[in-house]
Amino acid sequence: MRVKIDGEHCTGHGRCAKYAPNVFILDDDGYNADRGNEIDVPEGEEENAKRGMKSCPERAITLVAE
Amino acid sequence: MNETRADMEADPEVAPEVLKARFGRDIARDFDLDDPMFNDRFDEVLTFMVNKCPISFSKVGTGYHLVNTNEQVRRVAQDWRTFSSAKGYMPNRPEGLPYLMPEESDPPMHTNWRHKLNPHMSPKVIATYEEVIRQDCNVLIDTFIEKGECEFISEFGALLPGWAFFKNVLGVPIDDLAMLVEGVEQGTFALPAEERPAHMARVFTYLDTHLKWRATQPKRGDVIDTILEGVIYDDGTEAPWDHKVSILVDLTFGGIATTTFVMSSAIHYLAMHPEVRQQLIDDPSLIENAVEEFSRVFPPVIALGRTCTRDVEVAGTEMKEGDFVMLTWGAASRDPRAMEEPEKIDIKRETILHSTFGVGPHRCIGSNLARLELTTTIEEWLRRIPEFSLREGTAPVYVTGFLRSMRELQLVWPK
Repeated sequence: MRVKIDGEHCTGHGRCAKYAPNVFILDDDGYNADRGNEIDVPEGEEENAKRGMKSCPERAITLVAE
Repeated sequence: MNETRADMEADPEVAPEVLKARFGRDIARDFDLDDPMFNDRFDEVLTFMVNKCPISFSKVGTGYHLVNTNEQVRRVAQDWRTFSSAKGYMPNRPEGLPYLMPEESDPPMHTNWRHKLNPHMSPKVIATYEEVIRQDCNVLIDTFIEKGECEFISEFGALLPGWAFFKNVLGVPIDDLAMLVEGVEQGTFALPAEERPAHMARVFTYLDTHLKWRATQPKRGDVIDTILEGVIYDDGTEAPWDHKVSILVDLTFGGIATTTFVMSSAIHYLAMHPEVRQQLIDDPSLIENAVEEFSRVFPPVIALGRTCTRDVEVAGTEMKEGDFVMLTWGAASRDPRAMEEPEKIDIKRETILHSTFGVGPHRCIGSNLARLELTTTIEEWLRRIPEFSLREGTAPVYVTGFLRSMRELQLVWPK
């Protein structure tokens, strides 16, 4: 599973890292550290990643590949 | 469910005479955030609006649109070029109220300030305040636990957020908290609205004096020093003094006027639902999720406004350049298009999507602090006072405008 974190729309709600701390890492300001990039979701973390994506008020995380 | 203005106009349930009979006014075409009916029938009105009125209109003052669905609220909130914050977030803004930075500005000015301020409010920094906040919860509970009763707002809910914010973030004495809370409350809800600027002026004067005093003191490396240091705007000018004061006002406003409502509503809900209380006592790891659900259904900021910078269409409604648009966060957080059974309060909800902390670049800068205050409050309250209920014959007292607040909550428990 591969996801993209939108560079402009992430505004630091931090929901992604709450639901999927092994997938989404926050920077020192509390924004997704990988914003603007695509990342691979580690195996076994898919469900957590989906919860993180769905709870993002900005819809800043989108699915690139299942 | 209606998706556009045309759907709404064709829906017999949204006909003007039907709305007047049901709500006392045509809430689709003549809504008023300050109407006491909205205060009294808050959940019913928001649910009706999100389902039936993707967009509604108010004729109060110069009038404003309200955008009510999750998707459209997000779209408008993220598109700051078309929907500007620079003319303020209040509809029919009273004369003489200074603009608050960075909330009432747009990028790049807004971005300059947020880059400076965000590090002070990040999850990592906020987490270091946990112990002090936990102690403060207990100091407050100690003052009334033996009585077997309390008025939650004045004895806990209006105090803890102020203490947490003043002690940890601003470093100002908590003795002046009552005056500031009063100033902020009256500055928000006083009627007629023309009285509000005078109340806000007290808050400005106090914080202006505090900032001037701090400028003479050794640096502490805190958020006040960051504000004093200032930023250079893109046109090469330095941020003026009044912008700096307004940042302090904005932070104080957000830090003390809002979390109280989520906190009080959560405690009220737990007083009324012993079974949910027991679930949280049995498994405190559920509390964080419960806080998220309580934030979704008990929004202190009902709606904030933007000004159209050009003609634009939203949900089939033409808006003109200069029109004022309210983003109804409270409605967007209960949109059945975006979540299952939004009217149900479920602390075990799998994913919780809400707009309580706003959407877009102006996301509430204090969201991490608010979550910590709420989680810690519920943890400590349930540990110290596991059994409690609403005093018989009483009911919570609410006040609602573009913010919602609770004024009174009488609780009792076995001594």
